[in-house]
Amino acid sequence: MVNDGSSSGAGSANGSKEIGDEYNGNSSKLNRRRFIQAAGVGAAATGFAGCLGGGPGSSTEGIPSEVTIGVLAPAPENNPIGAAIANSAELAAKQINNSDKLLSEADNVKVSIKNTQESPSTGRQRYRALTLDEGAHMTTGVFTSEVLLQLMDPIAQQQTVHMTTGAASPKASKQVNENYDKYKYHFRTGPINGYHLGQNMVDFLEAKGSDLGWDSVALLVENYEWTNPVQKAIDDHIGDLDVDVAMERRYASGTQNFGPIYDSVEESGADAAFVAMAHTGTPAVVQWARDQRPFEFGGIHVLTQLPAYYSMTGGACQYTVTQNTATPQSELTDKTLDYAEAYNEANDGYPVYTGYITHDAIMQWANVATERGTVNSDEIVKGLEESSYTGTAGSIDYYGKDHKYAHDIKYNFTTDSPPETGVNPVFQQWQSEDGSGVQEVLHPSYVSSADYQAPPWV
Amino acid sequence: MASILSVALTIIVQAAMISALYALIAIGFTLIFGVGGVLNLAHGATITMGAFSAYYAGQFGLGIPGAVLASVTIPALFAGLLYLGMVKRLEEEPIMVMITTLVVSVVIEQAIVVFEGTTSRSLPRLIEGQFHIAGSTFQNLLGVMFVVSWIIIGLLFLFVNYTKTGKGILAVSMSHKGASLVGIKSSRINLITWIIAGAFAGIAGLFLGSWLTADFAMGQAQLVLSFSIVVVGGIGSIRGSVIGAYLIGFLEIATTNLISSSLQGLAPLVVLVVVLLVKPEGLFGREFAE
Repeated sequence: MVNDGSSSGAGSANGSKEIGDEYNGNSSKLNRRRFIQAAGVGAAATGFAGCLGGGPGSSTEGIPSEVTIGVLAPAPENNPIGAAIANSAELAAKQINNSDKLLSEADNVKVSIKNTQESPSTGRQRYRALTLDEGAHMTTGVFTSEVLLQLMDPIAQQQTVHMTTGAASPKASKQVNENYDKYKYHFRTGPINGYHLGQNMVDFLEAKGSDLGWDSVALLVENYEWTNPVQKAIDDHIGDLDVDVAMERRYASGTQNFGPIYDSVEESGADAAFVAMAHTGTPAVVQWARDQRPFEFGGIHVLTQLPAYYSMTGGACQYTVTQNTATPQSELTDKTLDYAEAYNEANDGYPVYTGYITHDAIMQWANVATERGTVNSDEIVKGLEESSYTGTAGSIDYYGKDHKYAHDIKYNFTTDSPPETGVNPVFQQWQSEDGSGVQEVLHPSYVSSADYQAPPWV
Repeated sequence: MASILSVALTIIVQAAMISALYALIAIGFTLIFGVGGVLNLAHGATITMGAFSAYYAGQFGLGIPGAVLASVTIPALFAGLLYLGMVKRLEEEPIMVMITTLVVSVVIEQAIVVFEGTTSRSLPRLIEGQFHIAGSTFQNLLGVMFVVSWIIIGLLFLFVNYTKTGKGILAVSMSHKGASLVGIKSSRINLITWIIAGAFAGIAGLFLGSWLTADFAMGQAQLVLSFSIVVVGGIGSIRGSVIGAYLIGFLEIATTNLISSSLQGLAPLVVLVVVLLVKPEGLFGREFAE
């Protein structure tokens, strides 16, 4: 289920027997690739590129024989969020290698995966290793906003396109907007930025409020950078609804005992805990369900997005609602389920949201590079700005350089039909079916699969 | 007025239950120091091991009895082996014991990361349901934890004071040389102490994991907590550890209930610093040696 080789990801993506066996339509391409590997030309070229120091993407014209995609993921060996980034990057590289259309001039597209350990300083080190030592032509991944914000300057220095696929802080896009020439190499393919995440929660409440019956909510957010804009957006917009915010609490990132917090929620009389949890959350869900707290539970809970979460929590996540980029049950585009099944086949399990986004990022980059006939970063930036790519999560379009969220993916909330541009996240609920858990989609209606179920103890 | 009474009762009941868990967590740690004169920095990891032993027992379908049995025997066995395999050879070098047990602790945590990842795991619920006191609701699990903790503490006191082996533990804790002179094999006593401490840590891990969930790093905070409790109570003093656990438990619950829930975990550290500055020998000193 998880990546099996962190930084050795290239090895499994660039010419292994498995790829040749599975995709035998490009045998000459693969033979050449193996030859290059054996001769070590790739290593020498990479080393040379690293010596240039100005960022390989910016100085390269055309499509090189070996294209390197740098991936930054949190603990890809054992964190499902990091594993989804790493495994999806390898899947995308595999598909590009076996495509006659994408980057056909390249003999090999390889993936190099580095562990950020969710630490800003480690993230910077690993980013430099990818761009300077390994000569990555683009980088992607990054789950933690604190890490991303520390990468903005190195990205600007290396002038190599970076497509974020996990971190949500809009401070990054603000930097692009305010100093475009310096920071233009950063794009956020997903998720929608933190402010839009909060707005999306409120939009969902407005659209589904009558079904949910949540007239008052207790806002619980973990104390991380990404939740600041989420909280602000909720504060800005929830007043437009007929919903009372009974209490609001930022809790410490290391919180294990949610008893005192839930006591406060109960005292507030809120109908539901409206949450923003990504790095923390399992103790919160398990204690809510086992203590049968008399309020409902929903919002953004990243771990609840994990397809294996029902078994991981012994069913405690049943009845929880969370926003998600996509699920294996939600056919947002004709690519969503194909990707989910290909991922499942390759990794014996379905991805979490960072997987969908990472796949979209790499495929969009490859499409733009192919169209432009180059991996030159300045050309790719122009291409991505003009691109409207149908990915697994929806239409991947970015805000322009004059927008306050420059180069962030566009967010468009709709209920009955897919938006023409941008993405419209789904809201799912864990429900039980024959004793096992299913991620049923509640919203939007064009992919919904079930109605909301309130916990029986409330 | 009724509201104040209700709040006070809630705090007292919550604190009594949490403190009982804290006592369980700390007793093994202080027992090893009191008897062997070494600090076991793998104590937190042993608690984690207890929780994950119960988790695996649940995964293998062994039910609650299997989970309880696994959470006691596996950490006890591990602690015994740790003593025989490493600590026994380094007993005269407390710093080396600290380093060795710290390394073992890291190895255990990393092994859990490799096999289970960083995501918290849900353990089988030992007991369902809730009970009510003065209008407040409490989990049956915590009530059982309170009772089990006191049964264990009571049995430990009986064991130490009224059995031959227990008296041997007391003797070794007072003087290794003196104990040897009267024919007590200190290595055997130390082994028994480590096994008992491992079992206690395992039970603490079982309750902690069943209550809050289990993850690879759950033992780190418990190790810090153990330090705080035994320093407050007096390093090596079981009675001091129990009282220290209740002091810290009450302070923590009062802080989180009356001031802010975001102050969880702060009370032990504050108390630790204050005691180190004001009464560094702790409330009860090192009673075995006195």
